[in-house]
Amino acid sequence: MRRRLGIGLGVAIAIGTLLLPIALDDSQLTVYVFIGLATIVVAGLSLLMGYAGQVSLGQGAFYAIGAYTTALLAKLLGLPPPLALAAATAGTAAIAVVVGLPLLRLRGHYLAFATLAFQLIVLSVIGEARGLTGGDIGLPGVPTLSIGPVALEGQYRTFVFAYIVWALAALALLLNRNLVRSRPGRALRALATSEAGALAAGVSVGRLKLQVFALSAAYAGLAGGVYAFFLSYIAPGSFPVLLSIQFLIMATVGGLGSITGSLVGATVITLLVQVLTAVGTLPGMPLHAPAVFSYAVYGLVLVLILLLLPEGLVPAVQRRWRGA
Amino acid sequence: MSLLLQYLASGIATGCTFALVATGFVAIYRVTRVVNFAQGAFAVVGGMSAFALLSHGLPHVLAEALAVLLAAVVGLLVGLGAIGRRGTPVLASLIITLGIGIGSYAVLILAFGDQPVSFDGVGGALAVAGVTMPRQFLLVAAVTAAAFAALALFFNRTYLGRALTACSSNPHAARLVGIDTTRMGLVSFALGGALGGLAGVLLTPLQPVAFNSDVGLAINGFAAAVFGGILRPGTALVGALVLGVAEALVAGYSRASFQSGVALVLMLALMVWQASRRPAIAEDAA
Repeated sequence: MRRRLGIGLGVAIAIGTLLLPIALDDSQLTVYVFIGLATIVVAGLSLLMGYAGQVSLGQGAFYAIGAYTTALLAKLLGLPPPLALAAATAGTAAIAVVVGLPLLRLRGHYLAFATLAFQLIVLSVIGEARGLTGGDIGLPGVPTLSIGPVALEGQYRTFVFAYIVWALAALALLLNRNLVRSRPGRALRALATSEAGALAAGVSVGRLKLQVFALSAAYAGLAGGVYAFFLSYIAPGSFPVLLSIQFLIMATVGGLGSITGSLVGATVITLLVQVLTAVGTLPGMPLHAPAVFSYAVYGLVLVLILLLLPEGLVPAVQRRWRGA
Repeated sequence: MSLLLQYLASGIATGCTFALVATGFVAIYRVTRVVNFAQGAFAVVGGMSAFALLSHGLPHVLAEALAVLLAAVVGLLVGLGAIGRRGTPVLASLIITLGIGIGSYAVLILAFGDQPVSFDGVGGALAVAGVTMPRQFLLVAAVTAAAFAALALFFNRTYLGRALTACSSNPHAARLVGIDTTRMGLVSFALGGALGGLAGVLLTPLQPVAFNSDVGLAINGFAAAVFGGILRPGTALVGALVLGVAEALVAGYSRASFQSGVALVLMLALMVWQASRRPAIAEDAA
């Protein structure tokens, strides 16, 4: 009975997600697109943190790499957008393999600092390579997404983007679900329980970690690429360290390793930030109010969740649901 | 030649402040195995509150001492959040310190504004071997040397210090002989806070500090701490001086924007080199 209820709830959410864009205006749709993009990134990060036990503070770097690769391939080489997107996704994963090969030898907390350093290096490289990337001023004029001869333009641009982004997010979540249930998924779950145990059971731990790291980077690269098409302008300032921390907060709030947790975490945090920004920019608020609000809430949410609901929102609700 | 000496002097001065931040990392990591992402924020708290106290008319030394004390209290609070609850996994503690670090931005902006602040340290300059050196450099070096000497005495000669060392070498055995490891962890957080605060107090006269200066400070401090595997304060000091001098030389002879890259690349290379000498298996939480 409960299981059927759960499935019903899932179907209702899926239908709601599909119908929602019709009711939203353009600026709300933009938020909707951003939630979808964040869900894709968080789906990867949640897998990495929840199963491989590695903390990455560099997902923003992979997001940036995906965005810049897509933009440059489409703008300078004139590659068809879907091809540019695919190439950027694969390219980001490849960079993650090269970076991860040495870095994943490190323990969890080392990797957190190493990925943070990686993001700072990526940002400064983007800032320095002015000839290619436009430096700190940014890269304007990224062509819009087009599939074959059909370009996403005009009145319904954001509307169609919303569906494309959410289709990709659904794909990412579906891939995660199947991955966790497959044979490598069993190895992943073993790894999540005990690294030494998994190794003893014949799981090639290093390789598995690297694969999950590359997958999480690929998700971030894909989302970054779509982001570049959507905004048609990118700059290093769009990918601050805070962005990586934001992804980490979303993953933690939703529940590490939880498939639907990525969706819930991305949605809750994005909406929370939107509300806070709206409140912070009300007339009469001091100039730094939005920043203060968002920093305070990021900090509070992260600390409170870890202390009170360390498993995250979704697993906690699921446990209560099952009555355990 | 005199230019080189000038770069060396300023590199050693900034290296000293990195060393203090690094020792804060080491002090906390040794006892709790938590890498404290709020370590940079301690220095910012120290520097900015010293500025505020001085501008309220408190005399030097007293203002700085109070600022260091405040940073120690902040350290204790961060420790309470990170390890105060029994059974918090190390990775969760790490993310909690990250959360507190971000949350501190809000408090810092509200308390001190969002602009970088700086105050005058020791004024004047000294000519040594044809090089003019701000007196503040000498103060920084002297205070850092004194702090490290005091730390060595503390860890080796006092009961509390030896209890901390016991926790770091074997927490189970330490608990068996009646040491409260959680309380020792909190002490180490307060110590880390004080060391970070001291770094901030010394650094702010040399370069302005803003609420978000903590990332740079933490990266440099962590890079220095990694030299000694985040376990040995002495090696961290050497690492910090190497790092400070290397950055000053790069900034002087090349471009200032490459300066931070030095720390990052050096840190990554070191970490990978160290990891290659040790098995990659993470210690399962005991």
